[in-house]
Amino acid sequence: MILAFREYIIQHLCCVWMFYEKWDMMKIFTCKNRFEDMMTCIYDAWEYALVYGHENVSLIREPVVQLSFMDEYIHIEPDADKVKKVVRSIIKSISYEAYMDVYYAALSADDTLDDIYRFLNVGFRMGPALTRMLTEPVVIRMMEHRRKVGNEIHYWREFTRFNAIENKVYVAHIEPKCDVIYMVAGHFADRMTSEHFMIIDENRKYAVMHPADGEMYLTDLSDSEMNVLKKTEEYADEYRVLWDVFFHTIGIRQRENAKCQRNMFPVWMRKHAVEFMEKK
Amino acid sequence: MFELQKGLSVQEKLHILADAAKYDVACTSSGVDRKGGKGMLGNARACGICHSFAADGRCISLLKILMTNHCVYDCKYCINRVSNDVQRAAFTPEEICELTVEFYKRNYIEGLFLSSGVLRNPTYTMEKMCETLALLRNQYHFNGYIHVKTIPGASDELLAKAGCLADRISINLELPTEESLKELAPNKSFQTIINPMAKVSNTIAENRIALGKNAHMERSFGNRYLRGSIFNDENMKSLEGKKENTGMIGQTDARSGLKALDLTNDRELGIYGASDHIRPFAPAGQSTQMIIGASGESDYTLLQTTQRLYQSFDLKRVFYSAYIPINEDSALPSLDTAPPLLREHRLYQADWLLRFYGFQADELLSEEKPDFNVQIDPKCDWALRHLDIFPIEVQTASYDMILRVPGIGPRSAKRIMQARRYGSLSYEGLKKMGVVLKRAHYFITCGGHMMFKTPIEEKYIMRQLIGAHSKENWQITHTEQYHQMSLFDDFGVS
Ligand code: SF4
Repeated sequence: MILAFREYIIQHLCCVWMFYEKWDMMKIFTCKNRFEDMMTCIYDAWEYALVYGHENVSLIREPVVQLSFMDEYIHIEPDADKVKKVVRSIIKSISYEAYMDVYYAALSADDTLDDIYRFLNVGFRMGPALTRMLTEPVVIRMMEHRRKVGNEIHYWREFTRFNAIENKVYVAHIEPKCDVIYMVAGHFADRMTSEHFMIIDENRKYAVMHPADGEMYLTDLSDSEMNVLKKTEEYADEYRVLWDVFFHTIGIRQRENAKCQRNMFPVWMRKHAVEFMEKK
Repeated sequence: MFELQKGLSVQEKLHILADAAKYDVACTSSGVDRKGGKGMLGNARACGICHSFAADGRCISLLKILMTNHCVYDCKYCINRVSNDVQRAAFTPEEICELTVEFYKRNYIEGLFLSSGVLRNPTYTMEKMCETLALLRNQYHFNGYIHVKTIPGASDELLAKAGCLADRISINLELPTEESLKELAPNKSFQTIINPMAKVSNTIAENRIALGKNAHMERSFGNRYLRGSIFNDENMKSLEGKKENTGMIGQTDARSGLKALDLTNDRELGIYGASDHIRPFAPAGQSTQMIIGASGESDYTLLQTTQRLYQSFDLKRVFYSAYIPINEDSALPSLDTAPPLLREHRLYQADWLLRFYGFQADELLSEEKPDFNVQIDPKCDWALRHLDIFPIEVQTASYDMILRVPGIGPRSAKRIMQARRYGSLSYEGLKKMGVVLKRAHYFITCGGHMMFKTPIEEKYIMRQLIGAHSKENWQITHTEQYHQMSLFDDFGVS
């Protein structure tokens, strides 16, 4: 009798536990802030959700700031095959346009991972119409992400400044919020095909290298490499001086308007722009 | 005075010749897409790229300089006129090329904007300018953007050459009527400006056809859905037929009277591209500039002239430049006159209404009401005068009509058209699509009802809208917040 009661209690507890797991516990998939990791994360979360339901998964980009005790977290490592599968099915079952939305959103400074997941969730049901469905909140959110990242890419096309090292290599330092140096460099690879240049992301500590007439590639930078490269901004270069003269001459005094200037060229982007740097 | 000053450093020259060029506004680099490639430097992007913003908040896209500020002419409004005692300088072609290429490689600029004072005579000046551009294209292999301002009175051959080397060509009208031109620019005449403008226009059209394109310049995509657009074939043609107004552009009978430029001997001029294909003639089109407030014309005259310029010469852009008094002259506003920035802003707004919204000059202004309302923008002003057609239902109204609602631009209008096919719209959704409800809500219903219970009554809405505008107007008149680019936000054009 006592034994039976024990059994009963245990069984009951299990039931409660299962009930608890089924209804309250969220499975949270987390990954590093890189495109490949995010696509793999989406793949794994999706696979899990096919059994337990999309409403029971959530995706967060690391670092996870606030852990909740009620939920279970799994860290996902990138897997090239899964990335390929995800990308292929987005393009095939939804559209290339949708894939571009996903790609841009993945570069965002904000955590867009869960939005991407929900976006695909609607997308795999609706197909190619997805990106035109502006009455769906998640579609609008993705459009916003893309716009934001796209704007930042455009900004850096404008405001990136190269320093010439002996008129042979052109080095730029930028501190973008979103992960955009590769997209930015693509623009310069077309216009300066026959020049050596590199663009350094000061915060993420990596760079795009473009050898003259060659293919560009990404590379991580060590601290000592960063330090050496830092010096390129102090190189004496007569054209920096000439640009400064031009810049300070071309404005019209009677129309001076610092506020408008700030709106157009945000202060946080001026750090490495010659015309706004402090004169040594 | 033709002796070029010896001994000036490049830095000093740059200071003098940028300072002399700064009043020209057309510093955009848009309108042409061209890929880069091995062995050359540069490409061009149709969207245009600004590289910095000067202390006046205006965009810096091009190395905007004069070749020289020596000038034998005496235009009253100009700092470089012969009767002014200013320091003069001249660049050599090599100096201009070096500056352009080196600035470009550092990503300071998108290309070159070359203009000049008249050195000896128009032909000599234009020859020198073409020599510089040819050097830049052929020796320095510069493939980036070039805007050249031609000198009124230069020969057709030189005009042809300039157009083959540059992306955009401009001839500044400066003043919208023959009388003002006579008064303020005694060495120029309407004919020396309009004739080359017409020739360039015809040459661009011929060249476009030769390259298998439509004769007319590309316009914002939305225009094809706008019945009233000034760029519609019918509207373009109908204008060519009528030449009523006197002393204005329509009168010159541009298309029939003037031949296109002869491009046949360009091969000898060495301005063919490397692969022997013809470089298109001024692929980013032609533009012009008018000074606002130096002479007495009304906004109506300026806007009509603008529309005619677009329709007769298919200009890509018409720019306005608020007159800044630099010279003491009885024919000009006094030196302490503030530049009419708000008026300039209203004209740009109206210009956008012509180019993107399917409005015509006559809808916005008239003989009876020849100037813009300073308190509210031209689009709100128009809507207030047509309250009988509002409010419109966003769920069903035509694209034409939606675009005429204040607070809705081409981008949000397009989104509305797309979205409503897949579901019903809400005010919340409209806001997310970029509709400025603060302005729009007086003029629309969504799902049959208005956002608030507001009377459709002119005085009431006018008061409300003026409240919404007053901060912006104050900022423009107090040069706190002026920039042409703010139009992008106002109108949501991308
Ligand atoms: S032609 Fe007239 S506007 Fe041009 S530089 Fe000479 S004086 Fe100035």
